[in-house]
Amino acid sequence: MAVLSEQNRAAVWADFMRDESSAHNSIGITKADLRAAFNAADDWAEANATSFNSALPQPARGALTARQKAKLLAMVLFQRYGVTA
Amino acid sequence: MTTLAIFTPESAAFPSSNFPALGQDAQGRMHLAFDASTAESCYWTFVAPQGITTPLTAIVTYRAASATSGTALFEAAIEAISDGDATDTDAGSSFSSDNTPTAVTVPGTAGYIDQLSITLTNNDSIAAGDYCRLRLNRDTADTAAGDLQVLAVELRDAA
Repeated sequence: MAVLSEQNRAAVWADFMRDESSAHNSIGITKADLRAAFNAADDWAEANATSFNSALPQPARGALTARQKAKLLAMVLFQRYGVTA
Repeated sequence: MTTLAIFTPESAAFPSSNFPALGQDAQGRMHLAFDASTAESCYWTFVAPQGITTPLTAIVTYRAASATSGTALFEAAIEAISDGDATDTDAGSSFSSDNTPTAVTVPGTAGYIDQLSITLTNNDSIAAGDYCRLRLNRDTADTAAGDLQVLAVELRDAA
């Protein structure tokens, strides 16, 4: 999988700002700085996808789909950092 | 300066797309939430009062929903239609060019209000008795992250 398109990166960046605004959570950086963070996170996900997959034990590594693995990682991160979707 | 009109979120009119969401906070305050990445706009209608003098000024009271740094920028335009003008009002709009002020830094605490002043140099030759609209939009070239919530707009004249 390649990195997200510019359109998709913009969409997820905009969604994040809307969600944080709805929750009245402070954001102490500018829109441009936040967008740079999204770009970096996407780049990191792309660069480390293979590493994450290798960290999964069998039989999960072979049986789960890429989508399920992504969801697994997201749910672990959400739980670790108290994020409610 | 004299206050000509006070525009509240509840009295705004909206285009068919790309408009700010009308909301109410936990304290009961109404607001119009302007998105950070999509240019959104809304309108208020008024009749230009007798004795009006230009230049007009729009004072936008807003707060950031999330941002504690960066800038806010709103633009305003006036549409003024006089009796007998050849303007097909159910088929089009005739706003003057946007008036763009200098961006202002948002308060360091989200929820604190700030007031942005827009001098309406472009005023569509507004005159007493004209049927008018004020259009407000957020310029997404500003840098504050997240929604900017407009709480009220005051329209002042030069007198």
